[in-house]
Amino acid sequence: MTFSFARGALALAAMLTLASCGGGKATFPINVTVYNVLYPGLVLSTNGQDVAVNPGTDKTQPVNVVFPNQIEYGQAYDVVPKGQVNLVGGTFPKHQTCAVPQEYPYNLPTSGTAGQLAKIQVYYICSINTYQLAGKVTGLRGTGLVLANGSTALTVAVAPVLDATTSAPTGADVALTMSPVAYGATYGVTVLTQPTGQTCTVSGGANGNGTGIMDDAAEAANGVTNLVIACANNPA
Amino acid sequence: MKSSILRAGVALACALGLAACGGGDGDQYLTGTIESGVTKDGLVLTNNGGDDLAVPANATGFQFSKRISTDDQFNIQVKSYPSNVKTCTIVNGSARANYYTIAQIRMSCEIKTHKLVIAINGLTTNGLILVNGTDKQTIAANETSREIAPVYEDGAYGITVLQQPTGQTCRVSGGSSGNGSGIMGSTDLVNSVVVTCS
Repeated sequence: MTFSFARGALALAAMLTLASCGGGKATFPINVTVYNVLYPGLVLSTNGQDVAVNPGTDKTQPVNVVFPNQIEYGQAYDVVPKGQVNLVGGTFPKHQTCAVPQEYPYNLPTSGTAGQLAKIQVYYICSINTYQLAGKVTGLRGTGLVLANGSTALTVAVAPVLDATTSAPTGADVALTMSPVAYGATYGVTVLTQPTGQTCTVSGGANGNGTGIMDDAAEAANGVTNLVIACANNPA
Repeated sequence: MKSSILRAGVALACALGLAACGGGDGDQYLTGTIESGVTKDGLVLTNNGGDDLAVPANATGFQFSKRISTDDQFNIQVKSYPSNVKTCTIVNGSARANYYTIAQIRMSCEIKTHKLVIAINGLTTNGLILVNGTDKQTIAANETSREIAPVYEDGAYGITVLQQPTGQTCRVSGGSSGNGSGIMGSTDLVNSVVVTCS
């Protein structure tokens, strides 16, 4: 009697153990770490869920978020900035754009299937947007003009337009493109080297003297495009 | 008799085989990539203290003239630097040669920087902001000089006024171009760029 009772208890215990194994599939949280989040606005999206990623109090630290609902074993995920299709568009932080880091070991795919790896971990890194700093050079006839934006980025050499038949400089306007400037950064364009026989002066930019800040107004205008480098012949 | 001829033949074949391997030129070129900082002539690299290799300005890679063999030890070092370079770092520059190790050699050089101190004359009010590109400097009333972020040797600088001080107008002059901009030389640039306020 006692023997058969023990056997029954054992069978019951075994059944309970099996039941606990078979109940539903394993689920996986979707973990995301985002570096260099300086402004609010980033929304990441996958499996019909959204999660907002906002800067922390210490902006040098990465921001860790987990999507509200876990996904089941075998379910596919694809974490992208909300609205992004084929790496185009998406809901980014203000003044920033985010992408998958290029450095190992953070250069992981942002999509996969739950259970492929022990843990779902997605990385993004955000960078400050840059905007064009551009305009024109007028009256340029001499050679050797070099422009600088302080010590920032490379200098830009500008050559005069030459007549197609005579090869003489025409003095026609030349489009000018300096290196792009990051949001929030200052710029100040100067003439590093004057062209032969001419003197050029810089105008335009937010302050009228080729200087300014790549601020909200400049961002809204998609950069600064009103630089004018006016060149005139030196008095004989 | 027959066997002794065969033996000699084998010995000869062995000797030839060894000679082919042991000859001065190996089967692999010793190359590396240059990531940054070589903007001037003057860089000379050595391998195991010899085989001097002059690397020209703006090179993105180097290749020693002598080939090396698999398992040869190589040790790449800098014999002389371009005049504007502070130091160079070689990554994976010493190892035994094989197809993996000789594909891992990288080098980057750090360009010297020098101080840039702006002289300020006649400033009696607050509000002056000077910029050197993205380097923003807010200058208080009565300051007579300001050291800004260091500038790379042979690199450009250009000081401009982002914001004039209250009730005053400041002009920038000096520098090697005369208008507050120029190219940084091989020494600190102190009081060459002048801001005059009135």
